[in-house]
Amino acid sequence: MNNLHPPAGGWMGRLLDVDLTSGEITRRSTAEYSDQILGGRALAAEIAYREIPAGIDAYDPRNRVIIATGPLTGTLAPTSGRLLMGSLSPRIYPRPWYTHSTLGGWFGPMLKYAGFDALVIHGQSVRPVYLEIREGQAVLRDAADLWGMDARQTQLALKDRLGQEIQVLCIGPAGENRVRFATVQHAEENAAGHSGFGAVWGSKNLKAITAFGIKGVPVHDPHGLWEEVRRFGTYRISPNHGILFHHGENRKKKKPICSQACTFNCYVSNYGETVDGRRIPGQCIGGLVWMSDHNMEHTYYTSDQLVVPAGQNFGMCEEVTLHERCNSLGLDQWFRLVIQPWLIACEAKGIHSIRGYPIRPRDVFWFDNLLDDLAYRRGLGDLLAEDLCRVMDMLEGELPAELIRLGRELEFAFGFPAHREGRFWDEEPLPFWVISAMMYASESRDPTIGTHQSSLLLADFMIENRELARRQFRALSKKTWGDENCLEPTFENKSPVAIWSQNQHILIDSLPLCDFAFPQLVRSMEDRAEWERSEDISGDLDLDLRLYRAVTGRDCSHEEMVRAAERAFTLERLMLARAGRSRVMEEALAPHFRLPCRADGTLIDAQGFFRLLDEYYTARGWDLEYGWPTPSTLSKLGLADAIPEIERLKKELI
Amino acid sequence: MKIHIGETQCRGCEACLLACSLLHEGESNPALARLRVQKDMTRYTFHLVFCRHCDQADCVAACPTAAIQVDGRGAVRIDQDACMVCGACAEACESGAIFFNEALGQYYKCDLCPDLAAPACVTICPVSAIVLAEAL
Repeated sequence: MNNLHPPAGGWMGRLLDVDLTSGEITRRSTAEYSDQILGGRALAAEIAYREIPAGIDAYDPRNRVIIATGPLTGTLAPTSGRLLMGSLSPRIYPRPWYTHSTLGGWFGPMLKYAGFDALVIHGQSVRPVYLEIREGQAVLRDAADLWGMDARQTQLALKDRLGQEIQVLCIGPAGENRVRFATVQHAEENAAGHSGFGAVWGSKNLKAITAFGIKGVPVHDPHGLWEEVRRFGTYRISPNHGILFHHGENRKKKKPICSQACTFNCYVSNYGETVDGRRIPGQCIGGLVWMSDHNMEHTYYTSDQLVVPAGQNFGMCEEVTLHERCNSLGLDQWFRLVIQPWLIACEAKGIHSIRGYPIRPRDVFWFDNLLDDLAYRRGLGDLLAEDLCRVMDMLEGELPAELIRLGRELEFAFGFPAHREGRFWDEEPLPFWVISAMMYASESRDPTIGTHQSSLLLADFMIENRELARRQFRALSKKTWGDENCLEPTFENKSPVAIWSQNQHILIDSLPLCDFAFPQLVRSMEDRAEWERSEDISGDLDLDLRLYRAVTGRDCSHEEMVRAAERAFTLERLMLARAGRSRVMEEALAPHFRLPCRADGTLIDAQGFFRLLDEYYTARGWDLEYGWPTPSTLSKLGLADAIPEIERLKKELI
Repeated sequence: MKIHIGETQCRGCEACLLACSLLHEGESNPALARLRVQKDMTRYTFHLVFCRHCDQADCVAACPTAAIQVDGRGAVRIDQDACMVCGACAEACESGAIFFNEALGQYYKCDLCPDLAAPACVTICPVSAIVLAEAL
């Protein structure tokens, strides 16, 4: 327990508990919640497991919003300026359950400089409020004048009021109006986007949180940290993307940076110009979508079973402006990627209105208005604000069955948009979509969004040069998982990679670090030519551990880190069990993977998918009937106290 | 030695602040860094406050105890033993690049990292916004 108390490096030692119902704010020791080595997602899981009651709705005042930094947050460790948010998600289908979302930026570091490792927010205020945190103090303030403002306006207003140096998390109108995919926004572009936590904030009447502080984050070995970052953490092109598309030009980053202490060049960000002539940054889907018309073609998918029409790129400035509108309104931009092709498919079927509301998805002005209607829950927007899966339930019988199926497939996994599952958006040839399928089947949300470097981007190598990649993968697999076949294009023996990737995802969300830079499974290479010359592409899998040791002073082994990750993952699994998520619901994902992979046409039938579950559950130490941790697995992870509850839940599920 | 800052290249990652405070103060704390990064969110632009190590430095002239000296590398540095904490240097600096550490009761400023081959901010900047002027 003492490991988390100052002067241990990396920790501030305290967290804030905020009861919005009573207005009471209390300080607690971070160590009270965890004797583990991790913060972020692992810390949030410990808190949520203890404090969020089973069976409640996301909008129940007893739901918690947990905002957690990690030991590296606020330090020079590359990409460490990230933040983890955990709560029951209103987006999840068919019923809300606990999940997580991360965002980059500068709020997490500032929270630590203000003296706190984490925030636990519960209750429901009777009127709109914001939480002001300043130099170890916190107070709830009236937000009546901010309610109704968009996220950009809110941040500018609070900076004018409290000082330009503050950092702000806030919601836009979409959160206020409980849109199920409403975001929590920060700075121009950072967002906890996928999990709909903005709507949870809205239900609590929480408009914003501001932070300012001047405390330092203690670092155990400053020169050790400096040397690690200087030697291994800067000027580096992140693997995969950078290697394949790099041809020897200046390695220094020129594009936007989305998080404090990011010294990497990940190639997933870009600048765009709005229609009114302002330059804004955009990361990931924003930056990629507006790069060129070709990127919207990734939404086109065809097979004998299902066709997904391509979305439409409206042009650079228009795309940038729509992107900024989503950020300002507080809407998850992934919704655009699924709703636009679905609406285009409706048009192709001769359907030009839904419940009397006209649809014109190829008209940029109509689409711009739709974003407003979503955020303010007007007309068609009010319907679609329930997210695609729930909308399909509502429209079943009113629209052709193939459109209903399309809508469900676009958000096939518990209400999250399909992503890196080898069908609708990214190329993931065998075996990568199998790894992805195992992760989808076992996690609370779209899992691939935090596992780019841990396995899924390896697919790029296979697409570029299959034989070279397979040769390199065999050596990499042997070195990393002790078996050279883990990345072979087969359906068997993929659980080691899936579980390893999930553990890495937990570590990345808990230290925290960015998954476009860590883990360094593949080494950074100068350019494509170097990759083509290489037989050994393995990277530096110890870098995160060395950064952790330098900051915290804790001589932690890989095995201890992995065990801590497994404990956190198991806590999340226990919370899924509480929500009734079991093997039956996971088997229901099978039809999606019967669709042919867009890269190589491979697919799996239901029995094959069930075998994937068997392999994965067994490797995790879960029973095959429910997919829940066995008593021995729980005991091994120090969670024996959960055994009676699991046994009770099994009886209730029957 | 002088550093040159290209504000249009800055992306606001603050690695320079973190490196500066890490090596000078032994902690990660932008508030104790010897330069500042100020962001204008309305225009997405960055302004850096940094010491230019002027050839005819106003802070040197303003110091009543000659506590500010220019070392062999051209770094304008404060001798804390000789400083009487009057603040004349900070007032004289047009760049606003002399800061006050309330906890220690000391003025402090960029010293161009005398123990390193190049200032830490120059080494760490991932976008070459901070470079050695001689390298231009």
